[in-house]
Amino acid sequence: MKKSRKFRTDCSGQLLIVAALAIAILIASTSIYVYELTTQTPSLENSSMAELALAVKAGLRNAMISALANITKGGQKTVLMENLAMLAGAYMQLHPQQLCQIRCTLLNGAGYEDGVKLSWNNNGLGVSSAYVFFTLKILGPAHNLTINDAINVTTLLAAEGCYTIDRNGSIKTVSLTCNVFNENKPAQARKIIVYWEQTPELWVPAENPDIIYLGNGTYTIVFAVTTPSESVNVSVQLVDARNIFVLANATCNLAS
Amino acid sequence: MKGRNSGQIRIIEAFLAIFIVFSAIAVSANITAKSPSSANNGLASLGMQALLQLDSDGSLAAYITAGNWSGLRESLNLLLPAGVSFNLKVYDNQMRQVNTETVSSGGFSSQEITLVKYVCTSQAPEFRVYVVYLYLAVAKQ
Repeated sequence: MKKSRKFRTDCSGQLLIVAALAIAILIASTSIYVYELTTQTPSLENSSMAELALAVKAGLRNAMISALANITKGGQKTVLMENLAMLAGAYMQLHPQQLCQIRCTLLNGAGYEDGVKLSWNNNGLGVSSAYVFFTLKILGPAHNLTINDAINVTTLLAAEGCYTIDRNGSIKTVSLTCNVFNENKPAQARKIIVYWEQTPELWVPAENPDIIYLGNGTYTIVFAVTTPSESVNVSVQLVDARNIFVLANATCNLAS
Repeated sequence: MKGRNSGQIRIIEAFLAIFIVFSAIAVSANITAKSPSSANNGLASLGMQALLQLDSDGSLAAYITAGNWSGLRESLNLLLPAGVSFNLKVYDNQMRQVNTETVSSGGFSSQEITLVKYVCTSQAPEFRVYVVYLYLAVAKQ
């Protein structure tokens, strides 16, 4: 009897150690689990910040497309900065606690002036483009995100062609091939108008031009003109699917 | 002396056991409290991605400018997974409501509603800025 009592009192110390170990394991596993849960929060915050950054970039791009469409229709170049400022203001208003700063710089140089390049030359190439550098700062509760990037919106039209003469030698049939690109990717046109130079500085619209879309951003345009001139100057005026206007002038010579 | 000590040890052990049980309850309560916020974040991400996809080609602003609310509703129905209810409100940059009719997939049966705020801009030559509030909830079966 005495022995068993002595055994119990002896074992109570060991039981305490085992219990303390069990508690330590329990606490350790619980804290690891809690730690894992808490580390998930910044990753969720990061993904929401990344989504916000994507939304800002999409908004900036749309604002640039709108401005370029406006400018190529005859609007002021200041429209580009105005659009970007309006968008930045809307974000500041929407996220007052999660500070979202957008700073835009318009490209000057390389043919761009105030972020806009309108190169409508006589070499068969027309370019309407806008280029903006931007810095986006999103100040989150735990992390900050800073992005420095640039957005380029470009509509490019390449036109080239030649003509053939009928048997009488009076009517010239002009065949043009036009390629349309948006940011170097083939694109479609919303509207195409073709003019030809009847006499110096007198441009007249081509009568009933036959415009065929071949796919991959390529159009063929065929029309007839009556002119004694050896070469036919043509002007292709195009509005792309984003409402951006572009013009390309080309000289067509007799097909060899 | 030994007998008196063993009694005190029993009391300490009892307190220790109570402490362990209560701390376990406190930790588990904390964990369960965190679960709905992560679910809400997932829902917000789904909503944000749907709006981003619609805005990538300017469709979102085009629907709003044209007042094509049924088209916008159909597009969101296609982009959001089945079982997610939505209600969309559109404001202009002066925070005046633009949508004249309800753009919704139906009534919200869930208590957990997530709000996604999105700034949408138009590609049209007449520049417009819209603020889109997309309310999302998981539809209860």
